[in-house]
Amino acid sequence: MEYLASDKIAIVDLGSGDITEEELDEDLVLEKIGGVGITQSLYDRFEGEDPIVLGSGLLTGSLVPGSALSVMTAKSPLTGKVSHVPVVLDAGIEFKYSGFDYMVIKGTAQKPVYLWVHDGIVDINDADEVWGKDVWAATDYIREFMGDDLIQVLGIGKAGESGSPLATTCINYWQGGDRLGFGTLFGQKMLKLIGLRGMGLLEIAEPEDFVEDCLALVSTIKSGPLKGKKGIAQMAVTLGGEDIEDWISPLIHRHMACFNTPIPTNSFVFLDEDPALLEESKVNEPGMLLTDIHPLITLKKMGLSAKDACQVLKECAKYGIDAAAVAELSEKAGTTALEDMVKSFPELKGPVDSAGTSIFSPWAMVGNQDRDTWERRQAVSYILGIHPLFALMTSELTEAKLLDLASLGTELELTQETLDEVVAEVSGKS
Amino acid sequence: MGIKIDGLLCTACMACELACGYHRDDAFALLSSCIVPYRGREKKNYLGVMLKEEDSLVAARPEGIEINRIGEEQDPDKEADASAKPMLLRESCDLCEDLDDGPLCIRVCPVDAISVE
Repeated sequence: MEYLASDKIAIVDLGSGDITEEELDEDLVLEKIGGVGITQSLYDRFEGEDPIVLGSGLLTGSLVPGSALSVMTAKSPLTGKVSHVPVVLDAGIEFKYSGFDYMVIKGTAQKPVYLWVHDGIVDINDADEVWGKDVWAATDYIREFMGDDLIQVLGIGKAGESGSPLATTCINYWQGGDRLGFGTLFGQKMLKLIGLRGMGLLEIAEPEDFVEDCLALVSTIKSGPLKGKKGIAQMAVTLGGEDIEDWISPLIHRHMACFNTPIPTNSFVFLDEDPALLEESKVNEPGMLLTDIHPLITLKKMGLSAKDACQVLKECAKYGIDAAAVAELSEKAGTTALEDMVKSFPELKGPVDSAGTSIFSPWAMVGNQDRDTWERRQAVSYILGIHPLFALMTSELTEAKLLDLASLGTELELTQETLDEVVAEVSGKS
Repeated sequence: MGIKIDGLLCTACMACELACGYHRDDAFALLSSCIVPYRGREKKNYLGVMLKEEDSLVAARPEGIEINRIGEEQDPDKEADASAKPMLLRESCDLCEDLDDGPLCIRVCPVDAISVE
């Protein structure tokens, strides 16, 4: 596979410590396109070895607006279904540029390990120094140990290590889009984290046409209905969700986008610092990045102040437990004090509605959207590598346009018929 | 004429960095860009943009612009951002002089944080 790809699949056996590599067969791309089309196919191939499959889309890491998404596919311990979670912020593209298009992680390590994925190499390293650390401390440790603050980390905290069914995989310091308990799977495999660093290069089959089309899309989106939208609260309203802007805005420092995503869907709040501060804070950990609207809505409904709600989310991110599940179970139990919520983390168990019933993480289910339309849009985004929230907000990114771009970029004839087949297959409707 | 950056508007989406890399390599890559958002002070949410010009390294910080002349001694008490380390080795901004429609970083920025002055 020559274009928009590194042409490499890593097969990592945590049990034996063996790492093998395969080429990304062009025929596989013609049949499955990419993203969850191929992670699902790799999952099926290694199903007996309980795999977690990490993969990128053909458009991930390109100039197509919203091209932030990589995905993880595995069997959710919360729903029992083979499911997919988004890998966003900058972690998705760091994987894309790491020298691999897909990585199958199978088996269970004998003792705690972490994976270091960089420059077309995967290392399995001893995790003695990071096992037992919370998510923030583990991210700090890896970045300091490797001497690179730009390493992106997919990792777990104490929730995943201790087998909590609500453990989530975090991205660096923050909650990601994993509502399906993949953090529990990391813990079961004795896998503390995956460190990602991408310094690769992706060739484009028709570079000038591809880039001109991307620039035209950026221009259209910038002048369209999303113009000026920013932050997690406005994003929720745009998608028909509850309006929490007045409640949260006094804490907001700035808004932050996932890679090449025109609308910043994340908001950083300062909890121990003046949100109006422009200079670099002298406080080491002044706040946190909000990436998921759902726990905020629940905690607001429970009567928490915005600051207490954000403190809950910060503690969840450190512990590596899904904040939406914590909010839901706390509401059911009538637990409203911050300290009591944090104390309850080790005992919390499902089932939880926050895991949803779809094979796609309900992280991107905001507002009362038509279920079939939402599923279709998620599937297409997860196949091609487009931010799943941004895709819901952007009518300009039509399926035909995305397929055109994927074909331009790869020189492969990728048709609507193929996309329909892959969507049906991934959704279990073929 | 030069690139002007409003560091406060930047959302660190890296579109400018990717577009610049494309301008250099005719492929998608991030290692040769002369414009990069800060990404190394994540826990403090300290975001801005760095630009390498012919004689200077421009840091468009949220609180304002700082211009460091290349070759001049820097304040040893100032911590260099992780994103800044390889910048001095890169080619300086040429304003995408081969393109009729102007610098790619401006065209691709979704929040109009970059302009020509």
